[in-house]
Amino acid sequence: MQNAASAGAEAPILSVRNLSVNYGAIRALKGASLDVYRGEIVAVIGANGAGKSTMMNAIMGDIARAGGEILLGGAPLPARSYQVVGAGVSLAPEGRRVFAPLTVRENLEIGAFPLSDRSEIEEQMQRVFNLFPRLEERRSQYAGTLSGGEQQMLAIGRALMAKPKVLLLDEPSLGLAPIIISEIFKELALINRTLGMTILIVEQNARKALLLSNRAYVLQTGNITMEGASGDLLNNPEIEEAYLGGRKK
Amino acid sequence: METLLQQIINGLSLGSVYALIAVGYSLVYSILLFSNFAHGGFLVIGGYVCYFFLGGYFLSNFFEGGVGTNIWVAAAAALVGAGLSAVIVEKLAYKPIRERTPVTLYMLIASMGMNIVIENIFVVTIGGRYRALPSVIPMKPVSVLGVATTSQFDLLALATAVVFLVGLQIFLSRTKWGLAIRAASYNLRTAGLMGVNVNRLISLVFFVAGMLAAIGGIFLSARYTLYPQLGAITTKAFVAAVIGGLGSLPGAVAGSLILGLAEMLATGFVSSQFRDLIVFVLLIVTLIVRPAGLFGKSVGEKV
Ligand SMILES: Nc1ncnc2c1ncn2[C@@H]1O[C@H](COP(=O)(O)OP(=O)(O)O)[C@@H](O)[C@H]1O
Ligand SMILES: [Mg+2]
Repeated sequence: MQNAASAGAEAPILSVRNLSVNYGAIRALKGASLDVYRGEIVAVIGANGAGKSTMMNAIMGDIARAGGEILLGGAPLPARSYQVVGAGVSLAPEGRRVFAPLTVRENLEIGAFPLSDRSEIEEQMQRVFNLFPRLEERRSQYAGTLSGGEQQMLAIGRALMAKPKVLLLDEPSLGLAPIIISEIFKELALINRTLGMTILIVEQNARKALLLSNRAYVLQTGNITMEGASGDLLNNPEIEEAYLGGRKK
Repeated sequence: METLLQQIINGLSLGSVYALIAVGYSLVYSILLFSNFAHGGFLVIGGYVCYFFLGGYFLSNFFEGGVGTNIWVAAAAALVGAGLSAVIVEKLAYKPIRERTPVTLYMLIASMGMNIVIENIFVVTIGGRYRALPSVIPMKPVSVLGVATTSQFDLLALATAVVFLVGLQIFLSRTKWGLAIRAASYNLRTAGLMGVNVNRLISLVFFVAGMLAAIGGIFLSARYTLYPQLGAITTKAFVAAVIGGLGSLPGAVAGSLILGLAEMLATGFVSSQFRDLIVFVLLIVTLIVRPAGLFGKSVGEKV
């Protein structure tokens, strides 16, 4: 009998195997696979329409899978959203989708829906406030009145409230000014380092995502076409040409 | 002056019963974005359950007195019965639709069908005749400050509505599931991503809507008698919800009070024949001047 620790190579905490998703006749994901190990930041980069959000939403059970399997800690991840969150995977969705008519505090509280211990929720909220002091200042404000950057912080904080084992981020840079993007990515690195949070991030902003992550995958029209250490991908001429705005001939 | 005060009290009483029903329409609309026209059916179910528990059916068909529970037990049974019926209707008729298509028009059509089904279940099983609820709700006249008279019934209806509406407000603002309902009324799918079991949430919303409809059903059947088509009265509550802004609970209450007052003032100062006319005049004026309703957020397609 052997457990994960004594097995030598550690098993991935999140494993996506041959995932396919269709929207009617459109095949948005065609058997994509990736692994995320405990404590890592993994990035998936790809152009608009590559299937990044589809992958995130399929992991979350927000859209149905057509095939493949998703494992969390070696066990199949349940199919329904609320069960996925309960199992330990939370998403800060594309476009932030904060609850505009609820206060910042209420947004964080709803993020903690799977938790039932009041003191545990307060503790987690304090942790989020420490990461994003701006949210604490604005805790009684309606989320709809926050700036785009603050809303993104709220979306990330809200996802952290459920104490996930893996945090999923769908384009946290979307629609934000470069200086705000830098601030948020700095915060993500901190969340990974200080909380030991495992992060899977999908981004069109390939440079930022590659600088942040340990490993990365390239998603192209529903297929994973490349993978490797983020540093290597940053220096890969093909990647540079296609995703980092390399000089065109 | 006396007429004015009296009609205001009557209007508030009538409006508060509308409010219980209108809030149910709005609550369901805020989550699933369709007008549930089976709501009148829930009201009728509440009325009949209460009637049965009070022993009305047995009194009129078999015995003379001595059967039936008291009003508290009967009312509790009516609330639970209508609440559960609402949950069952949702599971049977709406869930299969919302799991297949985002087009809410199909649910609207299904709800009209379910309303007919519920009505006819009563017509077929116990018959379509008008039935009087045993007189368990006090009806004596009450003098208000010595200048106007109203009835115990009106005051009781007003008080009951206030208790339940305040209770609903506390539930929505102070509890975990209340917060989840508020979040879901902004975006149901995002609420699901927060770990909320949306099917359970929808069942809860239908249970609450059914319960509130049952209270309306008890008061309306005590006031007017009970028959399978009594649910048609909810048309006015629906109009009130639209005037207030579909999906908004404060809007539903405000719209209901405005409607109740308008009806009673029209009755008192013009003629009772203007009652229904004023309701639809108010609806049309609202739709022209402020299509989203008093408290409505956006003008989307509201079905
Ligand atoms: N709800 C939908 N219905 C139909 N097609 C969709 C839907 N959502 C996404 N798609 C299509 O699936 C593909 C992948 O989309 P998406 O996952 O959103 O890409 P990304 O997040 O990488 O920009 C695109 O071709 C897109 O047009
Ligand atoms: Mg996307």
